[in-house]
Amino acid sequence: MRVAVIVFPGSNCDRDTQWALERMGLQADLVWHTAGSLEGYSAVFLPGGFSYGDYLRAGALAKFSPVMAEVRRLAERGYPVVGICNGFQILTEAGLLPGALLANTNLHYTCRDVLVRVERSDLPFTQAYRPGQVLRLPMAHGEGRYYTDDETLHRLEQNRQVVFRYVEHHGQGGNPNGSLADIAGIVNERGNVLGMMPHPERAAEEVLGSVDGEGLFQSLKQTLEMVV
Amino acid sequence: MKFHATILIELKAGILDPQGRAVEGVLRGLGYRVEAVRVGRVLEMELEATGEPEARETALSIAEALANPVMEVYALEALRPLQEVL
Repeated sequence: MRVAVIVFPGSNCDRDTQWALERMGLQADLVWHTAGSLEGYSAVFLPGGFSYGDYLRAGALAKFSPVMAEVRRLAERGYPVVGICNGFQILTEAGLLPGALLANTNLHYTCRDVLVRVERSDLPFTQAYRPGQVLRLPMAHGEGRYYTDDETLHRLEQNRQVVFRYVEHHGQGGNPNGSLADIAGIVNERGNVLGMMPHPERAAEEVLGSVDGEGLFQSLKQTLEMVV
Repeated sequence: MKFHATILIELKAGILDPQGRAVEGVLRGLGYRVEAVRVGRVLEMELEATGEPEARETALSIAEALANPVMEVYALEALRPLQEVL
């Protein structure tokens, strides 16, 4: 089972993501963004970083990369597609997920741990978690304020497309960026395209200070094993 | 024939613009009586076209490709033959 981790000019979490996947026993290849085909891959990750230096807007130029046509094709065929941080921004810019990610309300690039609640544990990316489980994951972004119009938000809530929500727990955590409805991660209607601002790959083994992100990679492995 | 286009991309009205707010705070600190400051982006470009209609169509197509309709609006602020600009 091979997973593609797309590398855009300016991606910087590609190797961390590859590492987290390989720890699960999955083969993860770094794939340059000009690739014309993702044939043979069972899942795709768009990693964090600053594709195209965040010029114009975060993710705005990466959506025109040649590989994105293939990412769209896989998404439409139901393959798991995960965008983390800048990857989430790219997925919204490309229209594969609804909404947009705007500058944090306080205008600060914020790099710290946040607490998120798992709202859905029935997805290919979350089945290893308990429903309602609170995870401690690092965030590191300047444009993570999820925004969409009222109608889309209503639809997201009704379809249970909010997967991760910022929460306050014992006086810690809370909404770090002004995101609408405390949204930290969403999935498309079909449930195979996930975007999230916090970094599970930076919390995927003991030495990193938290293993709360490991479940995402574990879930994906379970999913891919079931398919094969 | 060459044209010079100026495209303006800005956040939709009603969407919180923290950059605009920060600028507004500084301006007020300097004593200016201003409000509702918004920060947008201006893209300038030279483009080749057979005439004004084609140049307009190309510029608007570029603006549409670059703006994010979820949160932004765009406008073609100016379009002139390049020689008038130089």
